[in-house]
Amino acid sequence: MIRIVIGGQMGKDDIKKTLVKLIGDKEVDIFIKNDLDAAMAIKNGEADYYIGACETGAGGALAMATALLGSTHTVTVASPSKVLSEEEIAEEINGKGKVAFGFTINTKDTVLPILVKYLVK
Amino acid sequence: MNVTTLINYVLIAAVGGVGSILANRGIAVFNDGLRPIMPEYLEGKITRKELAATSFAVSFGLIIGFGIPVSIGSTILVAHSILLAADIIGTWTPDTKWGTAMAGVVGAIYGIGLLFGLSTIVSLFKMLPFNFLPALSLLGGPILLAFCAFPALSVASQHGPKKGMITFGLTFLAYLLATKFGTFKVDGMTVTLNAIGMSLLVAMIAMIYFAAQIKGDGNSNAGLVNVFSKRVGRIKSNWIWLSIMGGLITASSSMLIIAVDVLPQQLLVKNQVMEAAIATFARAIGFIPLVFSTAIVTGVYGMAGTTIIFVIGLLLKGQPILAFLAGFVWMWIEVQALSATAKGLDKFPGLRDMGEHIRTSLQDTIAIALLIGAALACNKMAPNLGYFWVIGFWLLNKKAKKPLVDMAVGPIAAIVLGVLLNILRLIMLF
Repeated sequence: MIRIVIGGQMGKDDIKKTLVKLIGDKEVDIFIKNDLDAAMAIKNGEADYYIGACETGAGGALAMATALLGSTHTVTVASPSKVLSEEEIAEEINGKGKVAFGFTINTKDTVLPILVKYLVK
Repeated sequence: MNVTTLINYVLIAAVGGVGSILANRGIAVFNDGLRPIMPEYLEGKITRKELAATSFAVSFGLIIGFGIPVSIGSTILVAHSILLAADIIGTWTPDTKWGTAMAGVVGAIYGIGLLFGLSTIVSLFKMLPFNFLPALSLLGGPILLAFCAFPALSVASQHGPKKGMITFGLTFLAYLLATKFGTFKVDGMTVTLNAIGMSLLVAMIAMIYFAAQIKGDGNSNAGLVNVFSKRVGRIKSNWIWLSIMGGLITASSSMLIIAVDVLPQQLLVKNQVMEAAIATFARAIGFIPLVFSTAIVTGVYGMAGTTIIFVIGLLLKGQPILAFLAGFVWMWIEVQALSATAKGLDKFPGLRDMGEHIRTSLQDTIAIALLIGAALACNKMAPNLGYFWVIGFWLLNKKAKKPLVDMAVGPIAAIVLGVLLNILRLIMLF
């Protein structure tokens, strides 16, 4: 059972809806928390992956996760100046073992399908 | 050059210079996303080069995709265009005494260049064969009252659509009542209540009332304060630098050369100073929980703190010296109250969560208002073609590989159309 926690600042309900749609009938627990509690959930082993969005993909989306988990575990997959390609995202997840992902809210539809593809197998 | 212009240039140079020094020393940065990376550098987990690369990655796009474009057409800078640049300048300069001095100089030059560049662009626009500045002023029109809708949206997303509708209704009613009965005589003096201010006040009271209903006995923030007490101590030990920066930003805000975001900036362009102050305050409430919790866990403060100093500056409009002193003292208070306020937020988890709903709903409200404003502006420039342009621009941006932030789409679309129409006029197609 994979557990995904949605933290960050923006569009959490939309992200959850999109995730549910993308994941289909695979067994995944998705819960929404505030950014602080969401980062704590990963730290305490209550969740496997953290997903968050804001206007920069790094600030509200990932700030608390980076502060609590360290930047070795977090990655901004989409910022106003750079959107990672599918290959780059795959490498961050499989190669570098990243567990927390931040992106700009208006790249939600590009980013979430790729994340789901590599996080939920 | 008159005295006011001179003061403005000195202030903007000081803001850019001191801001870059703060970032260089790792005392404060403006980007909330850069803040958590700073302690990793300070503790030697990443190199200066990696820090510089990160600061560039998280800030550059916002400067050229948001800060500067929405500042074009007026001489009021959106804070992002100078303070995010200070983040970059500060982290790109070396971590040595010379590096700090260099940061100060480069930051100051950048500030001057930015203000000079914007005023030059404004004068250049006026000389164009097709002057679209008057049309551009329509851009901020819808924002004037539309932003009063954000508390209702925020309530709806936090507490459900029913309470959102109630808040919306109350806001509407408050505006009607203030317009109809808002002017009365007290001792022969005529007092006029500001209808926008009153309706926003009612809306925000409703929003805070609903959020304060959610009581809690959590201790996440208190826990953070205890675990990270050394980092809180680091912020407090840097109070003098933070207070100086606070004073400078407040003074610049009082001279109306920097606004914290596009909403107050557009209100200031329309000379609605009081509304801009209220809007800035509403925005600050949304940022307090985020600024405080990231500050506590990182030991690095926000360059403008909770951004309340911008409100103080607007209230002290035209009095830069008084504003400097007030901003200096206010930053000191903020820094001292850091732990206590963060612990206090634990008791009202509804208020803490309210922050993120406020930010999301403000951004949505501003984006829509600016989109409609841009449609009106573009249609004034080129009837009918303008609507095609703006709507197409907005929808295509959504499909772009690197989409602009929603708030910037309207203003950028309008400016691009203005420039394009000038080119078309030159080749006699328009």
